[in-house]
Amino acid sequence: MNPYALLFLVAGLGLIGWLTARARAVRFAGGPERPHSLPSQHGTYVALWVVVPTLIFLAVWAVIEPQIVAASVLADPAANALPPFGFERDSILDEARALANGHAYGAFFPLSEQLAPLFAAAEHRYRWIATGIAVLLAFAGGAYALSRLAPAFRARQRVERTMMLTLLVASLIAILTTLGIFVSLLFESARFFAVVPVTDFLFGLHWSPQVIPANDPGSVLGAVPLFWGTFFIGAVIAMIVAIPFGLMSAIYLTQYAAPAVRRWMKPILEILAGVPTVVYGYFAALTVGPAIRDVAVMLGMTYASSESALAAGLVMGVMIIPFVSSMADDSIAAVPTAMRDGSLAMGATTSETISRVLLPAALPGVVAGVLLAVSRAIGETMIVVMAASGAATITLNPFESATTVTKQIVDLLTGEAEFDSPKTLAAFALGLTLFVITFLLNIVALRVVKRYREAYE
Amino acid sequence: MNSAPVPATPARVPTDWRTQAMQRRLKRRYAAERRFRLLGLGAIVLSAAFLVYLLATMLGSGIQGFQRTEVRLPIDFAALELPVTREQLSGRGADLALASAGLEEQVSVAAVKAFGEGADDWIAGNAWTTVRDAVKADPSLLKRKAVIAVPASAEIDGAARGSGRPEAEAAYAKLAEADAVKSGFNWGFLTRADATDPGAVGIWGALKGSLLTMLVTLLIAFPVGVLTAIYLEEYAVKNRWTDLIEVSINNLAAVPSIIFGLLGLAVFLGTFHLPRSAPIVGGMTLALMIMPVIVIAGRNAIKAVPPSIRDAALGIGASRIQVVFHHVLPLALPGILTGTIIGMARALGETAPLLMIGMRAFIAQAPDGLTDPATVLPVQIFLWSDEVSRGFVEKTSAAILVLLLFLLAMNGLAIYLRNKFETRW
Repeated sequence: MNPYALLFLVAGLGLIGWLTARARAVRFAGGPERPHSLPSQHGTYVALWVVVPTLIFLAVWAVIEPQIVAASVLADPAANALPPFGFERDSILDEARALANGHAYGAFFPLSEQLAPLFAAAEHRYRWIATGIAVLLAFAGGAYALSRLAPAFRARQRVERTMMLTLLVASLIAILTTLGIFVSLLFESARFFAVVPVTDFLFGLHWSPQVIPANDPGSVLGAVPLFWGTFFIGAVIAMIVAIPFGLMSAIYLTQYAAPAVRRWMKPILEILAGVPTVVYGYFAALTVGPAIRDVAVMLGMTYASSESALAAGLVMGVMIIPFVSSMADDSIAAVPTAMRDGSLAMGATTSETISRVLLPAALPGVVAGVLLAVSRAIGETMIVVMAASGAATITLNPFESATTVTKQIVDLLTGEAEFDSPKTLAAFALGLTLFVITFLLNIVALRVVKRYREAYE
Repeated sequence: MNSAPVPATPARVPTDWRTQAMQRRLKRRYAAERRFRLLGLGAIVLSAAFLVYLLATMLGSGIQGFQRTEVRLPIDFAALELPVTREQLSGRGADLALASAGLEEQVSVAAVKAFGEGADDWIAGNAWTTVRDAVKADPSLLKRKAVIAVPASAEIDGAARGSGRPEAEAAYAKLAEADAVKSGFNWGFLTRADATDPGAVGIWGALKGSLLTMLVTLLIAFPVGVLTAIYLEEYAVKNRWTDLIEVSINNLAAVPSIIFGLLGLAVFLGTFHLPRSAPIVGGMTLALMIMPVIVIAGRNAIKAVPPSIRDAALGIGASRIQVVFHHVLPLALPGILTGTIIGMARALGETAPLLMIGMRAFIAQAPDGLTDPATVLPVQIFLWSDEVSRGFVEKTSAAILVLLLFLLAMNGLAIYLRNKFETRW
């Protein structure tokens, strides 16, 4: 039976269990003894007993089934013709499995065509065995639960305890994800640093991972140019665009704009944040990049590249505008009106009030917003993948090419499947660096915001 | 003891606003005020102008991507006598059988026969797949002559728009004279999958991949996110564990998306050996990414439900679970849904994590299941953007338009829900 049908079957059995139990509970609700729980709670109790053990079994089965099937195929005499362990053997087995499932359109190895029916038969057999066990489990669970139903049975407590457990498990997933990210990055990075010394990676000035010499991989894996490029594009160029534009937009919208203008312009600015980054990247690579190269040529630069740091940074800055503006908006709005009114009453103009009173008071919030925006910009991938170059240089000239950590991660992992080349592992080391930096920026920003918010409350 | 004499404070003279100095100063201040105001307006207008320019550029070239030129190619199948049987055409091996029967060369030959030397370059490189699909759909074609509209090559397509090279222009004129070309809305663009030739590409494969991925994302992120929000907002006692959960969620919301891709690569592919490029892995990765968005939106929505409702329900004897699931959750649902839709829109536009888990392969078929190799819309855009040939620029913009349309629809729905169900207690 195919997996989806099986899931439907289990869900259906659960529903039947719920209905049966509810019907029984309704019957004894009319009896002499006042039942402890509602009929629907009895129903849910039985449904849980039908569904949960079965699903656990199916989950375990999904993991072990391929091994069982492979073992039973290998036990067949036809499998003796297989070559010994190695790449060819694996690909024959993979192809036979694909043929059996109907994923392949033709066989490359003749042997796999012979093995395919064996695979199909074994899969068929074990599917039915799994279905049988699943149905048996569902009925056993249902029967056990049904046998316990009685007016005095405390179904509600049991159902609610299960619900609480589910809630707790769900909220643990967030921790597990954070932990998973950290452990997997740390684990892969540790393998990387076993080959390449940490100091070479963190302080090396040369990055060209296309060819990694086996005797001294650290010599071409110095990440300083990447860190510089990331900082230059994300924290310098993008912020030169985003901070003035974001801040001025926020000031205009909160202090000057008519309500109607504000109602319209705010969502329009927010669209800027909602446009997928791949679209920005495409725009940067196709329109902005060449235009900037033309400008550079006009300025007399001979080696102008269309993959300049400026193109990526400019477009990224535009993308970041709404983040800066909404953070600034919030923190300006949080300044007590009394301060603003006081300044205006003293005869200051609106702009003087803003620059001398509101902005200084809102500064921590604005700074936090900028920090979050920087963290966002240095983690941004698609714009730099499409608009920045792969050449790692340390330069102050925005018309020259620069590369970033995220772009290199994508480049390093493109097309490589194995997990032990220094190239793949270097991507994880870069990922770890990125994670740590953005993590710290976020913590600092959140701290600043929290502190500042409390100041006026 | 030689303390300097304290300078005497000058007697305060009332400001005379009519003096010229004062007037000048006032004028200067007002001018500064106007400048500042204009600066603010300029910032907004420029930002909006950038958006408009971006959309206009995409729209301008995207519209062209929805048009394509087709060549009406007469083929005499009866004369070809392709070595294919009827049984082969009905089975799974039909594609392979027709390919090995030499259909590809025969289509080129037919083009040359119909339009003269060099005409095999006028039709798209994989025009024969159109013929193949036509034959598969109607095997009786093999016994007769037929005229099949196949995609024109990128060159001819360019010439049809008046931007081809001179040779292509000449070829196009020749075709037009024979009444063998037609331009029209490219329905195929919406129904086909990726291809190597810009004339034959479509976005259905990527769109279906996106939909399957989104389905997985929703099925995982929504329940987990909502349950987490409920737990944190309604039950969690303030202690170090819940603090840890809270900090984790806030930080997860700000982790760069590519890190989630690395997580998916290391955990789902590296440790659990799930299939590469599959919607299920993409969906799981994106689910982890947007879950914090749903949790944060959910908590705000639950927080907004007034305590009196909980107290009333508790007062008439409901259990805490009943209070939450019968009263609080239904009231908070619009807010949660709005947050979910916004999170899903973010997931729909996300590219980087999916590149990490191998969803960047060339895939010429729409996926049929959650474990089939697939690509998604943003990745398809990324892949096409690498192709330099002219036809792909328009196709990329057209795909971007479709993506933006979907995002617009989702955000519109979120705004509608917010406005419709906005309650003030």
